Amino acid sequence: MGALGDLAGGFADALTPLNLLFALLGVLLGTAVGVLPGIGPAMTVALLLPVTYVLEPTSAFIMFAGIYYGGMYGGSTTSILLNTPGESSSIMTALEGNKMAKAGRGSAALATAAIGSFVAGTIATVLLALVAPTVVDLAIGITAADYFALAVIAFVAVATVLGSSPLRGLASLCIGLYLGLVGTDVLTGQERFALGIPQLSDGIDVVVVAVALFAVGEALYVASRLRRGSVQVLDASAGWLTRQDMRRSWKPWLRGTALGFPLGALPAGGAEIPTFLSYAAERKLTKHPEEFGKGAIEGVAGPEAANNASAAGVLVPLLTLGLPTSATAAILLAAFQGYGIQPGPTLLTTEGPLVWTLIASLLIGNFMLLVINLPLVGVWVKLLRIPRPYLYAGILVFASLGSFAVNADPLDLVILLVIGLLGFLMRRYGWPVAPAVIGLILGPIAETNLRRALAISDGDLGVLVDTWFSRIVLALALIALVGPIVLRLVKGPRSTPEQLQADGHLEHRDRDEAVPTGADREDRS
Amino acid sequence: MSTAAGPPTERATGQPAAPPAAGRERNTGEMVMSLLLAALGVYLLVDAGAIAVPGSSNTVGPRFFPYAVGGLTVATGTALAIRTLRGDRGPSDDSEDVDLDAPTDWRAVAVIAVAFLAHAVLINVIGWPLAAALMFAAVAWALGAVGVVRPFLIGLTAACIVWIVFVKALNVALPGGVVLEYLTSWF
Repeated sequence: MGALGDLAGGFADALTPLNLLFALLGVLLGTAVGVLPGIGPAMTVALLLPVTYVLEPTSAFIMFAGIYYGGMYGGSTTSILLNTPGESSSIMTALEGNKMAKAGRGSAALATAAIGSFVAGTIATVLLALVAPTVVDLAIGITAADYFALAVIAFVAVATVLGSSPLRGLASLCIGLYLGLVGTDVLTGQERFALGIPQLSDGIDVVVVAVALFAVGEALYVASRLRRGSVQVLDASAGWLTRQDMRRSWKPWLRGTALGFPLGALPAGGAEIPTFLSYAAERKLTKHPEEFGKGAIEGVAGPEAANNASAAGVLVPLLTLGLPTSATAAILLAAFQGYGIQPGPTLLTTEGPLVWTLIASLLIGNFMLLVINLPLVGVWVKLLRIPRPYLYAGILVFASLGSFAVNADPLDLVILLVIGLLGFLMRRYGWPVAPAVIGLILGPIAETNLRRALAISDGDLGVLVDTWFSRIVLALALIALVGPIVLRLVKGPRSTPEQLQADGHLEHRDRDEAVPTGADREDRS
Repeated sequence: MSTAAGPPTERATGQPAAPPAAGRERNTGEMVMSLLLAALGVYLLVDAGAIAVPGSSNTVGPRFFPYAVGGLTVATGTALAIRTLRGDRGPSDDSEDVDLDAPTDWRAVAVIAVAFLAHAVLINVIGWPLAAALMFAAVAWALGAVGVVRPFLIGLTAACIVWIVFVKALNVALPGGVVLEYLTSWF
């Protein structure tokens, strides 16, 4: 197998003492920052990007692999141990994990999450290595019009799938597309929407926007509605995985992986849907239905595995097509571009060793997480207890540091603040921020391919539906855009995670019946 | 589709104690946001016409995509404005440290924004560590930390350590201020 040979080469590059040190550093930093409340994986990667600026690409990406998986892991620790769950991809883990921790089984929940993450991450990363060359072979023949269609479906999926309101997702996407337009047109060199400000004519830096929307926006939003009083961190000292826990966990791990990787790899990804589905599946298949809602271990093991498997799945379209399908992937793409590397079908041939080292480092980082994290739980608990005023002041300091370090220009900080205020308002009114980041980085790519396609066809729009590939993809995008609206009209809004916990059905239900308890409610669908 | 007046999230329905006034205020705010979004779209459509098109360029020039984005933005902003007018409300973002029932503390947001702006202006004057420490203290104070001196000292210590790591070990360009640069010049 060619892929396995290449992967072995990647291991050879990654297993030098210095590179192992970078991997360890990435894993530790990623987990430490990811554990901090209010910081999700995307923000972890964005905040830690400046640390890697000074490294040469190989070391930087080895560290990045550690940060990526570490940030994912840190997020689940937070959601299990804090009494209030946070970011979207670990909501499902938090549902049961939180209950387990409250019942004094916190370390069992953390352990099944850690081992599940390891199992899922390893299987999914190996699948990534096996699948990537095949996808590249298929992608070589892809036309500019096909590429545009892929970008469109990524836009639609990100805008309508993430967040609770498709229209608000679209609004956020529009903001991102606008920010992506600011600057100099790549094909003709014309300035667009730069308002005569020289710094804007170079375009707005993706890292600045990501840090502004995630870190600054979050800090402002938390400041506006800070939960006063002491922080409650649940105990995670007693109790380890029992033999019975293991028996109940291993199948959910594998099922979570099976759901997470393919759904993450589709250009309609994100970790929310697979974690949602995994939770629903475990609830249906469990032999202990009475425990769901009170801390069932399957409800932690499955979604957590799905979460990590989809994190590896997201790398498939990113590395083979240059198509980011999650906010974290968009920032990773920006990191690649920062080194002058453009992910896409040619990446495996031009930067083969780098990619294989990255994949090998993902596997190494994953293993390190399993070994170091459970013993370090005490440290993570301390991080969770940082007084909130200091925590958010510190987040702002690091946000400013990261953006200032890019160009050493104070104007970048003003842009950071303006977009941060925008991020605050978006959070306040329930507009998801991830579509804006995707729109910013994918917008220019979509435009370039659209114009290339139209230049070849002399402006005939028919070229966009010239191949079967683009026809199918655009049709899917249309369904994804219109489908939720139709479903909403027919059956009311989607069920929320809490409803899913209450009655285990994943379906659209009538709005009037959306009451907090699962009891005394009849299904209309 | 939005005949039901109930908020879409269950978290919100579970909090009947939330004052209705806050709900109305929030609705107006989102309405303004939607209209601003539509206005942004109009600006895109108008200003796209002013983008210079080089003579040699073929049918699809640098104006095409801005027109498309502008159109989408106007449509989305208008649709969202109509939706909010009918009473539809987006769920506020949930986070570990957010109390969804708390009224918005605009003062804290304003203090933080001003502190951040001051810090941006001061970096090149008094150096990053001192500017960052001042911002740290102001933000911590706005978020309810006790005192100002302690947060400032904590911020200054952390900022100096970060500065030394980034500048001396990682070679990132970051103005350190006269004192710190003098003290560490022997590195």
